[in-house]
Amino acid sequence: MTTSATRTAPMSGEATPEARPRPLELADLSVMIGGQGGDGTLTVSDLLGRYFRSRGLYVYTSRNVLSRIRGGHADASIRASRDPIAAVKAQVDVLVAFDQQAIDLGRSELAPHGLVLYDSTSFRSDLPNSVGFPFATLVGGPLGQPIYKNTAAYGALSVIFGFDATYARAVIEERFRRRGGEALEKNLKALEIGRKTALAATGVANRFSVVDGDAHDLILTTGNQAVALGFVVGGGRFFAGYPITPATEIMEYLQRYLPPLGGVARQAEDELAAINMVIGASYAGARAMTSTSGPGLDLMTEGIGHAGIAEIPVLIADSQRVGPSTGEPTRHEQSDLSHLAHMGHGEFPRFILAPADPVDAYDLTVQALNLMERWRLPVILLLDQALSQNTATSRRFDLSGVVVDRGPRLPAEKVASLDEYKIYGVTEDGVSTWAFPGTPGVWSEVTGNEHDEWGHVSVDPVNRRRMMRKRMEKMVRARDELPVGRLFGPADARVGLVGFGSTSGPILEAQRLLEARGLPTRYYQARTVYPVPAHELDPFLASVDTAYVVEHNYTGQLARLIRETLPWHHAKLRSILKYDGSTFRAPEIVAGIQEAGPP
Amino acid sequence: MTARSAKPVQPIWCPGCGDFGVLAAVKRAAANLKIPMHEMVLVGGIGCSGSIHNFLEINGVHSLHGRLLAQAIGVKLANPELTVVAAGGDGDGYAIGMGHFLHAFKKNASILYLVMNNETYGLTKGQPSPTSEIGFEGNIEPPFHAILTALSIPAPNFIARTFSGDPKGMTAILEEALRFNREGRGYAFVEDLSPCVTYNDTYKIWREKVVDVQTLPGYDPTDRRKMFTLCLDQIDQGRLPVGVLHRPAAVEREGLEVKLLGNRPGPGRAAIDLASNRTQYEKLLSALA
Repeated sequence: MTTSATRTAPMSGEATPEARPRPLELADLSVMIGGQGGDGTLTVSDLLGRYFRSRGLYVYTSRNVLSRIRGGHADASIRASRDPIAAVKAQVDVLVAFDQQAIDLGRSELAPHGLVLYDSTSFRSDLPNSVGFPFATLVGGPLGQPIYKNTAAYGALSVIFGFDATYARAVIEERFRRRGGEALEKNLKALEIGRKTALAATGVANRFSVVDGDAHDLILTTGNQAVALGFVVGGGRFFAGYPITPATEIMEYLQRYLPPLGGVARQAEDELAAINMVIGASYAGARAMTSTSGPGLDLMTEGIGHAGIAEIPVLIADSQRVGPSTGEPTRHEQSDLSHLAHMGHGEFPRFILAPADPVDAYDLTVQALNLMERWRLPVILLLDQALSQNTATSRRFDLSGVVVDRGPRLPAEKVASLDEYKIYGVTEDGVSTWAFPGTPGVWSEVTGNEHDEWGHVSVDPVNRRRMMRKRMEKMVRARDELPVGRLFGPADARVGLVGFGSTSGPILEAQRLLEARGLPTRYYQARTVYPVPAHELDPFLASVDTAYVVEHNYTGQLARLIRETLPWHHAKLRSILKYDGSTFRAPEIVAGIQEAGPP
Repeated sequence: MTARSAKPVQPIWCPGCGDFGVLAAVKRAAANLKIPMHEMVLVGGIGCSGSIHNFLEINGVHSLHGRLLAQAIGVKLANPELTVVAAGGDGDGYAIGMGHFLHAFKKNASILYLVMNNETYGLTKGQPSPTSEIGFEGNIEPPFHAILTALSIPAPNFIARTFSGDPKGMTAILEEALRFNREGRGYAFVEDLSPCVTYNDTYKIWREKVVDVQTLPGYDPTDRRKMFTLCLDQIDQGRLPVGVLHRPAAVEREGLEVKLLGNRPGPGRAAIDLASNRTQYEKLLSALA
């Protein structure tokens, strides 16, 4: 079979058809694959990821999907790098287009050297450096169905990047081995069709070469999976939730992980039920959590306030998406922070922990479980869409740092020796010991009303002051037990950066870009965001002339919390904000610093 | 040595309140079944009736308005050995808690839900509730009949209605309901007609209207369809059917907690320390690629 490449624009640097331009060597590359739902764009991303990982590269993938089950445009992007990465690359090196929208969307992000590989069966690309192959027709004849066009495109990509042919094939075998038979056979054929077509075309093979890396024994995971695993190994045994993008996978993982361990994971009728089931289960002795996103968090706020005054430990993972209301369910934002810090009518203590990447999410989930029981209060794990759902190569999760500390929960034998059992007893650190309900000889009252030490309803002003102080001061007393923030960059840098959550990925990359331009920076990654870690931020802000707070929202929510807590640093703070539903690309942060200028 | 626990306080209810009958019946039923108080959890809602746990030597949980069922189910799933009762009013259960009310039948966790229905919001001083008759305090919406809704959901629940004016009958039904729960057979819903002497004193009218379903021709609590028609006919005639309305013929342990956990101890009592679980955790983590 012979097919010639459909060329819509001359390729740069090509004098004659015989000339073989040197491949452009890439140590950090990005491929974006776009098409209609059902075109198999994710499979292409997955196959590339498997190949790059086999070459020792770090991989980061993201998806841009619409909130619908089938159809509509969807794209996937994959980045592979010799250096650790946790962000989408600013420029696309190769754009794979199965529909016109992929061309339209990819246009602005395509690198000057970028190549466009498109399916010329049904449309034509008007971008420079475009190579069209009629993938659907090419595979449709010999394989009977056009659906293998994505694997054929992977085959063409393997030629464009000069993949080792054996490895390229092994990736298909690995991916389709389990399905076996026809699926494996046809995908292998589609691979060969794609490879032959690309090899026969002029100037397509070896356009790029990929530099091997030394990243090995890593896993490819998401923040949502990390939270689910952290919950399990941290002793979590009860989960109730309600499906909501982008948090749903936490529930789905736990429905798999928990039952074999004697745990329970339930899908409730709504978020009101979910948080209240968690409250009931926690009261009855289980380590319990729920997960949600903004709209569900609004409903759960009632229950979280109850847990605050009733002093029942609960863990809530909030994966932020574009809000308010339904907003953009599948898109990224960090705009729940203000709500979480101040949520609920009345006042109650809460801790908000914000992991930056899957390993951090795993570690902080384990810590959150101990903190919530140690201090008997609600703890929020603050996630965001990119952390929750983008996949990243991570070091393996292990059990070395796992400790299960049940704090003031009393085993039956200790309860037996008590003279009196006050479930809200006022103690030095504000935390009252309590028994598991069912412990012989004791019972108690637990309530969302203001109450005395026994749990009896009380409106006595003296008692009210005492109980408010007992609860609220937990946020001060716990300070030294809360997760510590991380610092990156030279201590003598005059320019500071502050961020939380998955924004750490692009911030760390921006630091490298700035360093290369001669501007050293120091980055403070907040891991406890509430109570605001003033004891960490104060010296950090004192050490720099300007601090750029980088976050995904319109009003600068973290910056506002910092100003509120450390007003004397007000003049040093600048905000770099993004609220268009997509994540920061490192150069945008660099540009933000340049635009904002000196203080 | 036994620790001194929270002592019950004096009820906040008005003298003559129907809820006193419920309090007495709950105590007697628990005593007759010899349920140790430390093994009982009573989750109260918000409203006059929801404070019932304060008046018992029991593990009391004062939950949120309308959310008592979700909390009670959470308790039961975490520790199936506990005897769990949710108790609240008609506003709590049928207005703000309606979503959870319906789903509790489907879930079929082995807990008792006791609704003290007085057809008004007593604690906020007499507003119409979902069960109020047309004309009560300007109410123009038809009353909601929880027993009909309960009978319409095809789940193996125990469903009954009692009247505070008949404490003996109520005790017998609560005993049966608690036994049903303790055998792991599933959810028990009991609506008690509990007059509010201050804002909707219906003792006299209800005494005339109640009819014991057992005395009706064709009474068969294993037949949902028959019982629905029978109750609907009585309601249409202006009567208040009371008694056991549904009792599944099968005696299998159909409770949600049994389906999920079998005879295992439940998440609230499981060994969660690292040493007890290390092998399983390592398997889980090493499967990641």
